[in-house]
Amino acid sequence: MTAAGAGRSTNPWIAVLLAWIFPGLGHAYLGRRRTAVVYALVVTLTFVLGMSFQGRLYTIEPGQPLSILATFAVFGAGLLNIAGRVLSETPGGNVLAVTYEYGCAYLLTAGLMNLLLMLDAYDLAVGRKA
Amino acid sequence: MKLLLALLPVDHFVIMTVYALLVSVFFAFLWRSERRERLVLFAKILGALVLGGLAVAWLMYPFPS
Repeated sequence: MTAAGAGRSTNPWIAVLLAWIFPGLGHAYLGRRRTAVVYALVVTLTFVLGMSFQGRLYTIEPGQPLSILATFAVFGAGLLNIAGRVLSETPGGNVLAVTYEYGCAYLLTAGLMNLLLMLDAYDLAVGRKA
Repeated sequence: MKLLLALLPVDHFVIMTVYALLVSVFFAFLWRSERRERLVLFAKILGALVLGGLAVAWLMYPFPS
């Protein structure tokens, strides 16, 4: 559709979808390989540390409206979130762990970072950001 | 996962500093495009997060848990 920095035709929605699937993939699609690697490393490390700290991959709970926002945030991590839920023994986290709260903060941050990357990939693809 | 946890000490300050490092790198790359500008923003965010965290911890010190 529109031309990104690489000077070739790119579809902003494909960039957004790729960015959601894995951190940095949208930027790699737009030809920004170096920043894509940095984003992939930072977001993945944040997510993996969150899982290591036995944080919680939130799900929507009745009567807990904030859990909707938290679930939206962790689902922003795309495949990392899905892989975490499938592969982890305790996707709901371990409340008794000393690092539980830190883990939750890391996981939420990883998801929110990736949501920002999706918006950034869209802006780059439509030429809104230089 | 457990190996990673074993490598990283369970220490409030270390966990907070690692978090600050990751967030600083992320926003430095997201918001700036020049190398020098990125370094400056990275230092600012890192300093604000770590020093801000220490300041809040110090302010909360007198309060019982």
